[in-house]
Amino acid sequence: MSTQTDFGPDSGGRVKGLVIVKPIVYGNIARYFGKKREEDGHTHQWTVYVKPYANEDMSSYIKKVHFKLHESYVNPNRIVTKPPYELTETGWGEFEIVIKIYFHDPNERPVTLYHILKLFQSPVNESAPPTIGRALVSESYEEIVFQEPTQLMQHMLSNVKPITNAPWTHDTNFEEKKEKTLERIIAAQVKVRNEISDLKEKLHLAKETISKFKEEIAKIQNNPSSNILSAV
Amino acid sequence: MADILDILDIEQPGTTEVTRDSILHGDKMKKKYVTAKAVRRPEGMHREVFALLYNDNKDLPPLLPTDTGKAYKQTKAKLGMRKARKWVWAPFTNPARKDNAVFYHWKRKSDETKEYPFAQFNKQVSIPSYSESEYNQYLKSEDWSQAETDHLMDLCQRFDLRFIVIHDRWDRAAFRDRSVEDLKERYYNICGILSKVKTNPWSNTVTMVNGEKRVYHYDAEHERKRKEQLRRLFDRTQEQIDEEQMLLAELKKIEARKRERERKTQDLQKLISRADSGNGLPTCQSAVQTEGISTPSAVSSSIARRHDRKLHKKKLASQQRPIRAVETVTVEWSGIKFPETRGAGVWLRSQRMKLPPGVGQRKTKAIEQELRLMNIDIAPTPSEAICKHFNELRSDLALALDLKNALTSCEFELQALRHQYEALNPGKTLTIPPSICNTSGDGDVKPLSEIIDVVGSPGALNNTI
Repeated sequence: MSTQTDFGPDSGGRVKGLVIVKPIVYGNIARYFGKKREEDGHTHQWTVYVKPYANEDMSSYIKKVHFKLHESYVNPNRIVTKPPYELTETGWGEFEIVIKIYFHDPNERPVTLYHILKLFQSPVNESAPPTIGRALVSESYEEIVFQEPTQLMQHMLSNVKPITNAPWTHDTNFEEKKEKTLERIIAAQVKVRNEISDLKEKLHLAKETISKFKEEIAKIQNNPSSNILSAV
Repeated sequence: MADILDILDIEQPGTTEVTRDSILHGDKMKKKYVTAKAVRRPEGMHREVFALLYNDNKDLPPLLPTDTGKAYKQTKAKLGMRKARKWVWAPFTNPARKDNAVFYHWKRKSDETKEYPFAQFNKQVSIPSYSESEYNQYLKSEDWSQAETDHLMDLCQRFDLRFIVIHDRWDRAAFRDRSVEDLKERYYNICGILSKVKTNPWSNTVTMVNGEKRVYHYDAEHERKRKEQLRRLFDRTQEQIDEEQMLLAELKKIEARKRERERKTQDLQKLISRADSGNGLPTCQSAVQTEGISTPSAVSSSIARRHDRKLHKKKLASQQRPIRAVETVTVEWSGIKFPETRGAGVWLRSQRMKLPPGVGQRKTKAIEQELRLMNIDIAPTPSEAICKHFNELRSDLALALDLKNALTSCEFELQALRHQYEALNPGKTLTIPPSICNTSGDGDVKPLSEIIDVVGSPGALNNTI
């Protein structure tokens, strides 16, 4: 951690060169009632959440989390000020939930996440989210990057308590996912780079051939004309 | 035993037991058993409906609505529980009156000895009094004569400090006209002085706070100003009111415009800074390129490849220049430039993976298509390493796409040139290196022939001439 604290007039009390990354997991879990509820037609109970990736209490730096639901819900703007940052509702449809995370430091602007509430199992594919019993989990990994936080924020970010003594796990194995994704991307990168150098060689050759052809054409165009001239 | 008999509906002999119940409504009980009949539930009728119609008494439902039921009947108001008390026409005197007038009214006989109850509401204000010597010692004033002060105190006493009335009743013949404020000021001034001097204060002007005397201080000047202000407010004409409203509306408009202007300047500032950062990058890039050319051999292997690529590109670009002057093949290859890390603040890692707005929709679609072919999520888990490599990959993909396009157009050009050559020099042909040709699929054949025609015909014309 660099501690080059330089409080110039325009540094804004920020710690220069410091970057703190806080990984989080956000998403929803949904459970099917087993039937359509008669009074309102709701079919699922779901919980949308934001939780830390590591076992740490985010309330030390998060002021509140604002969940914006679909407008058909009674007061769609729900605010959670204490962990766990989650919200349980019932419903029948999928929609985009806007999650806005506010920080204690008023200098830091809130960050916005977008999550498509998932209730229904998509057709089985390779990257299908895991299920627990009959519950459906759709969650994403994200990293909040605090670039040059203020000293106050730095203090809040580095003094976090664990949430539980029990092991802190997630339904999705993000480590494995990250590893696999990275492998695949790097493999693709190698492939594409080879392709690029191949293409460049070809292009090089093509350009050379073009100029050669042009020379040839120019020669012929000059020669027949001189021939014609001499004939005349 | 009685319960069992009840249940079995066996009529009891009336003499068996004397209970409270049997005393209170013994008659009814007998009657009930007499009228009780087993009414059978008609076939198909719901039990609940039947229960509504036939209650426990098994009485038939009444044909006409009745209001004789006990349950909801309102109990009659119980009047005349106590003995009536007598009213008498009696004389009374009001202690508030000083003339001992006697009036008559109705009152209870029992209350005859009591005092007139409304007398207690005759509240008297205690007005301070002063002796001749006290006045001369403490209360002398340049403005007020003693006679005038006496007159004031007298009126205060008479009208219970209702200063508006006092002002109205002021003896204008004897004394000069004074405003309500003047009167009040003089009165409270006297009260204040006297309460300081005398030992027993008057209730309404002096309050005791923490054993300390607090004298009510009347601020005549403030009161005058206040009234003047109210008077002016009240005396405004309609035009003045309208003008004020108009001015307020104008102020609001001006403020709104100001805010708008500030917002616009901010937007402009943002735009300028964005443009600056956008311009900053390419210059940086070109610096690297020149560097790469000057010292191509002195770099480590991994960077070498990158530099090599750039060097290559540079070379190609320089070769391309004369051609571009002749032909229309425009090639722009650069990959994607993702914006560098902005200043301080919080951001999400996934924001780094957004394609910059400069990348067109077609290119974005093409890149996504390529990613899908390679089985890579178009929004992968955003860790730092993945973010970096993913962006590089997409940049490379964009570059590859550009190169492919460039190669295709080169191929078209080659084909065209070959046809031109064939036209000029019949019987002879030029050979296009086969490695270049493999990019064009079957679909490209048609447009090729069109190009041949277009380019070929002027050559043919030239030839005939």
